Amino acid sequence: MPAILIALTTFPFVVAVATFFLPAAASRVLSVVSGAAAFGLSLALVPAAAAHSQLAVGSLLRVDALSVVFLVATTFLYGATAVFAGGYLHLADGAAGSRYGRRFYAGLNLFCWSMVVAPLVNGLALLWVAIEITTVISALLVAIDDTDGATEASWKYVLIASLGLGIALLATIIMYYAGTTVFGSAYDLSYTKLLAGAGHFPPDVVRLAFVLAVLGFGTKMGLVPVHTWLPDAHSEAPTPVSALLSGALLATSFYAILRYFQIAVRALGPTFPRNVLLIFGLASLLLAALYLLSQRDLKRLLAYSSVEHMGILAIGMSFGAPIAVVGVLLHVLAHAAAKGTAFFGAGSVVRKFATKDMTKIRGGIGALPWSGPMLVAAVLALSAMPPFGIFRSEFLIVSGGLSDPRDTVAAVLVILVTLAFFGLSWFTTQTVLTPEVTATAPGGAGAMVTPPKGEVSRWIVVAMATGLVALLILGVHPPAQLSHLLDRAASELGSPR
Amino acid sequence: MGPSVVVAPQGVQALQVLTILFGAPLVSGVISHVEGRLQGRRGPRILQPYYDLAKLFRKETLVTDQSSWVFLAGPIVAFGCYLIVPLLIPVLTTYGLPLGYMGDILGGGFILALAGFSVALAGTESGAPYAQLGGSRAMTFGALIEPTILFVVFTVAIITSTDLPYAMAATVRSSSSEIVRPGHVLAAIAFFLVVLVDTGRIPVETHSGTLEFGMIDEARTLEHSGSPLALLKWGSAMKQLILYTILINVFVAPWGLAASGSPGAVALAIPSLLGKAMILGCIFAVVDNLFSKLRLFKITEFIAAAFLLAVLAVLVFYAGGG
Amino acid sequence: MHPAPSTYSGVADVVAVLVLLTEFAMLRAPLLRSQVRLYAFQSLAVTALAVDIAATRHINELYALAVLSFVLKVVLVPGLVLRLLRDAEVDLAGSSVLGVASMILIATGVAAFAFFTIGSLHVHSIALPTTALAIAAAVVLVAFVLIILRADVVSQAIGFFSLENGVSVASLVVAAGLPLVVEVAFLFDLLVAVVVFGVIMRVHHGRTKTLSTEELDRLKG
Repeated sequence: MPAILIALTTFPFVVAVATFFLPAAASRVLSVVSGAAAFGLSLALVPAAAAHSQLAVGSLLRVDALSVVFLVATTFLYGATAVFAGGYLHLADGAAGSRYGRRFYAGLNLFCWSMVVAPLVNGLALLWVAIEITTVISALLVAIDDTDGATEASWKYVLIASLGLGIALLATIIMYYAGTTVFGSAYDLSYTKLLAGAGHFPPDVVRLAFVLAVLGFGTKMGLVPVHTWLPDAHSEAPTPVSALLSGALLATSFYAILRYFQIAVRALGPTFPRNVLLIFGLASLLLAALYLLSQRDLKRLLAYSSVEHMGILAIGMSFGAPIAVVGVLLHVLAHAAAKGTAFFGAGSVVRKFATKDMTKIRGGIGALPWSGPMLVAAVLALSAMPPFGIFRSEFLIVSGGLSDPRDTVAAVLVILVTLAFFGLSWFTTQTVLTPEVTATAPGGAGAMVTPPKGEVSRWIVVAMATGLVALLILGVHPPAQLSHLLDRAASELGSPR
Repeated sequence: MGPSVVVAPQGVQALQVLTILFGAPLVSGVISHVEGRLQGRRGPRILQPYYDLAKLFRKETLVTDQSSWVFLAGPIVAFGCYLIVPLLIPVLTTYGLPLGYMGDILGGGFILALAGFSVALAGTESGAPYAQLGGSRAMTFGALIEPTILFVVFTVAIITSTDLPYAMAATVRSSSSEIVRPGHVLAAIAFFLVVLVDTGRIPVETHSGTLEFGMIDEARTLEHSGSPLALLKWGSAMKQLILYTILINVFVAPWGLAASGSPGAVALAIPSLLGKAMILGCIFAVVDNLFSKLRLFKITEFIAAAFLLAVLAVLVFYAGGG
Repeated sequence: MHPAPSTYSGVADVVAVLVLLTEFAMLRAPLLRSQVRLYAFQSLAVTALAVDIAATRHINELYALAVLSFVLKVVLVPGLVLRLLRDAEVDLAGSSVLGVASMILIATGVAAFAFFTIGSLHVHSIALPTTALAIAAAVVLVAFVLIILRADVVSQAIGFFSLENGVSVASLVVAAGLPLVVEVAFLFDLLVAVVVFGVIMRVHHGRTKTLSTEELDRLKG
């Protein structure tokens, strides 16, 4: 067990350093191997984490059921994105292309390494450091495509996300202070200590720390009103990076909020933390659903869908019933798979049609016989269509919400999700499920001629298929070990009896 | 020792007014002289203001056709106000004097404002454009600086639970830690900036000379001549000394004041006050020569800075406990 | 009413107030170079606070931290930003959305909010007087105001760095005993963030030939 943890923390980093020196072809393969290995390792952790309460290596690394859930989501996307990137990247020949390739792969692996490390570290301080590392690396990755949009998006991203993390640092320090009232002035912020002593922390201080943490880490998670960087960064980044940002990084930031939630619930009781999450969640869901109805850019559409799903996660946590919490954790896994697949499909469409503007794209089914339908399936999955995993997770969340005294929130959730469904599906079906355009009609809507039929790359298809298969498994019949893991994690998050 | 002769409180009070009355031109003269020296000139005589006042009293008074009694009453009202304020503030003594409870710092501020208002009114009344310009500018900036003064008063009130200047002075004298308190330092600096604005020194206004585009206080008195002008000049010197006295004896250096009514202590208090005022005046002269005058619309920035310091002083005291 | 704190606390408080005042001065500073120098001065004040606490409360780890933060925040970061300004050769004066007096009034209101929020917490600290925590919160909020109201890349970056200064003061107040390893990790992170900021600023300048952020409104909705 300890070996797995150590391997997970070091292996991707070594790969990242190696890819900086290797040619692109080798880096491609190496990244896929690394991603698959990481996914395998985290799956190996599942049975142990579901059974015991925690596994630790020294004082720096620690996993419990909650961490393994997020680890599985992140590593799955790591592997799938590495496959996708292999097929998606068209590297120019010569020095510029190879430099881009080296930077890209090194950055990709480094980014995934930092997201893998975050659930593994023991303590709020190290958690903050890990998330700060994810921010700086992803900011560089967003800027790697040298376009005007990417420059603007990366500046906004790095500024707003760093500000959020500055607030989160303040939250860490204030939580540390809350701990000093119990533990004295020199102690590390490890989870075991904090969870043990949380019952005696001064409530006002913990309240302030929790609100600041939600605001600060919520900036990285994409909670309204501090989400403003998200649509820009996710749409201007290279598509593999967008997939990772939406599917894995938002979840990792949510993990940080959950750690604070755990401590706050033990210190303050469940009401206040849930209300805070409810407010932010509802705002995110409402705003995202409204914005989804008016998007033209395909990747921006998916970015707003991410904001919507983060809102659903926050609202789900606010319900408090154990079944809702299980739903939230399942949703993390399913959203990673679904959003990843959707972005892969979007990348395929964008590559094929050479534009992101959805009003111009028509006839995706004709041009992309495999990834077109799979994109539709992924978008439908994002809208909670059975039999995919998100249907199951949202079902659990809503049923948990209906058993809550505040059952109107569950109703509002359903309405807003339906609204988002309209927004997502309308445009996606417009672009994909329409007949081909063989010649530009005079005075037409500006739709361009559909390119000839043929997939961009078979690796993209493979990546998307993997995602859909994972979604089906999660939706139809999650493996028993996984269910145990989710139950255990949910009980860790709840308040002690 | 000799018989314990005590100067009667009423006498001390009268002495306070007389000190300000006759000491003000002296302080003005010292400031002009030092300023001149700093600029490389020989500088005017230290007693020059007295000669100027004497000369002005001998000259005839000219009044325009359009003005009414307000034009002549303004300087007299202002002079009267400046005679009243020394009754309220700790000029010579550490203990409160009989009439000193007529008004607290707020009352003193109100009377000073009344003086400024009557001078501006008189200037506007004369119908001359520059005097009106000066009057309106003076009233505007005076209004803008009022919140700062209020917050400085609040600082005093928070520390001592009253706004009697005597209590504040006693608190400052009590220990060195009081002076180092950040709220106190901030309030003192804020009041320093207020004095800069109210006495019309750089960077707000050039104290000497008549640049019309920048004149605020000086322009109000352009139309007066003869005895009213003498009263105005004397009044403004007294205002300067009063503000210096508040700054020194309440905030910065409230030592050397007479603790009892004995003649020796009282007699010592007078030169100590004037000496401290002259030192402060030299500081203002140095500030004068170090900075350049701000453009008129940038004065609001300056006032905002003073306001900020005063608000921070209150915040640091009230919410921070420091 | 409020008893006066000891002379030591008073001096420490004055240095903390200096940190806040430099933050306000940054709101006003029109030249980008003077903003950077103000930031260096602010970091110097924070380092002085750290040394002050290390000396009086005998927390020796803080000396090492003070030296590190001096090298990083007073020497390296301003040096990097000044070098960027020199290479940019353009736009030495930043632009702002509102006039100076309005900005100062808004920032004053925001600082008052911070003071009252922290004051209601009744925090007790061994290291610094609690005024310093309220001041730290005010620095953080005024840094936000700075970032929102200034429209150029360097001002926003300096705003972010000064926010970190505010958080450092807060950590000195309530977490002076934080293990050195953790503090060094924070500082290292700041360094990395600074490097990334520098890279992206150069990318921005390279593309738009200007340091202003007024162009950055293409991505909307």
